[in-house]
Amino acid sequence: MAPRLAPAVGARLTWRLPLRPSPTSFSPVLRTSFSTTSPQNVKLGWSTLPSRAKPTRFNQVTSGLPAPTTGPAAALKRKAQSTPVRAGVLAIKKGMTAFMGLTGARIPCTVLQLDRVQTVLNKTRKDHGYWAVQVGFGERDPKNVGAPMLGYYEAKGIAPKEELAEFRVRDEKGLLPVGVQLMPDWFYIGQRVDVRSNSRGMGFAGGMKRHGFSGQEASHGNSKNHRTIGSAGPSQGSGSRVLPGKKMPGRMGNQRVTMQNLPILMIDNELGIVVVKGCVAGPKGCVVKIQDACKKPPPSEEFIEKTMQALKERFPNAEEHLQQARERHLELKKARREKRIEEILAGGWEPTKEQAEMMERAIAEDGHESLGEEQATL
Amino acid sequence: MNVTPLARRPLSCLKSSLRQARQQKIFSRSMVTEVQAAAAATPKTPSQSPDQNFYRLVDKKTKTIRSAFALYPSTSAAAGVPLTPPKTTNPVAALHEFQIKKLDPTGARTALFARTREAAKVGDILLVTHRRGGEPFAGVCLSIRRAGIDTAVLLRNHIGKVGVEMWFKIYNRNVAGIEIVKRRLKRARRARLTYMRKPKHDMGSVAEYVSAWRKSRRVFQTKGAKGKTAAAGASGKGGKKK
Repeated sequence: MAPRLAPAVGARLTWRLPLRPSPTSFSPVLRTSFSTTSPQNVKLGWSTLPSRAKPTRFNQVTSGLPAPTTGPAAALKRKAQSTPVRAGVLAIKKGMTAFMGLTGARIPCTVLQLDRVQTVLNKTRKDHGYWAVQVGFGERDPKNVGAPMLGYYEAKGIAPKEELAEFRVRDEKGLLPVGVQLMPDWFYIGQRVDVRSNSRGMGFAGGMKRHGFSGQEASHGNSKNHRTIGSAGPSQGSGSRVLPGKKMPGRMGNQRVTMQNLPILMIDNELGIVVVKGCVAGPKGCVVKIQDACKKPPPSEEFIEKTMQALKERFPNAEEHLQQARERHLELKKARREKRIEEILAGGWEPTKEQAEMMERAIAEDGHESLGEEQATL
Repeated sequence: MNVTPLARRPLSCLKSSLRQARQQKIFSRSMVTEVQAAAAATPKTPSQSPDQNFYRLVDKKTKTIRSAFALYPSTSAAAGVPLTPPKTTNPVAALHEFQIKKLDPTGARTALFARTREAAKVGDILLVTHRRGGEPFAGVCLSIRRAGIDTAVLLRNHIGKVGVEMWFKIYNRNVAGIEIVKRRLKRARRARLTYMRKPKHDMGSVAEYVSAWRKSRRVFQTKGAKGKTAAAGASGKGGKKK
């Protein structure tokens, strides 16, 4: 019974069929026309409704009605509001101390130190489904880095990082050039930031410590139940079961805690420190994420412009460096696949006759001289 | 040469611009140091020279090189511009130093509570004057909590037969002066004299020590200068008169 398929699909199929031998166009066509479920992606939305349902047909652009407040587009718009405009930085908590004001005020503060914080990757809505900047922190001995990650850093043209973390940003304006270093002056004094870190782990803790239960009496006939949680719920008539989410003893701490809207008291590029007011979760030496506060207005346009300009001035060749690293990575990757890496290491690698011929053919196919030759002539 | 068409396609569009950049790069490459130059150089022709900036994965059994990855030194970030690690790994101490320099430029307060023979010790009777007027507080020093800019002293006195203890942050701007009224005769053999809270050891009011000290200070001051209080420097030399 053919009419099950929409006529448009059939038409598309017959029209595309002659293209089947072409390797590039074959697979996508097949996937789109014969999928049994309705397609889901960023563009089409994540709805599980069949495409025929068309829930939006009553609110067309031409209908003069306001934009729908539900659906993927509206959800993304809502989410954008609470997403910071700029990426943040990674830092290490170095400890708490006091910040003595000139008027006699004593402000408890936390010292966070940035160490070689670099941008590593930009994530886009088209490729990854959301806008984000991946940022790396510190330095890691390559012997403690796996081969896949060594290749990753090779392609980025940067040294292996101790930590990697992502910072969601509102849109493409928040993306940054890859490989540039972010310094404490990414923020300004007085700015409000959100600081995220994992709290100190307490291990397996009882109900009194973990949830603040009262415990039980010391006397009045109590026996060996002084710190136990007591009853876990009503009995027969209420189901004789423990309700989901019942507070009980268990692992405590080592959870991500966000301290919102902490004002910045001091920044210092030389020491690499950002001093924020108040406390931050976690022990000394823990990794923290600092980003513009999502519940406060973002930094002014001028300030954002200034920081971006500073990045450009400090790292004028960032893009070119990345491009070179990518080219080199592709070349080395190929060499690794073909087991030629030792020759490259020895430096004595000469193309064999067949390889030279292959290369020439490749150049001829491309119709322009390769970049390698171009560089050699310079 | 060995670049796959995938990577070459966008390059061909930008070729003219990239060529210019490459010419400029020659100059920059001559400026940078040896290590960075090795990292920035793209060995498009691998036959040029052995590149040392590789991390080799060696097979443990056969001792042969399984694979190798280019390694960019951590000192170069983007195009040979050096990455700057922080100057110190102990920024809290640096922050203390910075603030102390600002709040105690003469170093008098630091010297008063340093670990030296002349410095104030636990068991000494200290007098603290406030910046915003008010009664100066005198008391026997029970403990000194040393924590850089956050260094504080605990003073104990009796006011109206009631024991009173107060903490003072020595670098706080509200603390105008700290003076040693009377030194303890023998060095205390404890860091914290908490036993002085017990009735057996309690010193009681230190008012008489303070008044005696004031009298001794008055000898050096003329009658006319009585009204002008020389707001005490921390060294204990500037007399404080009420």
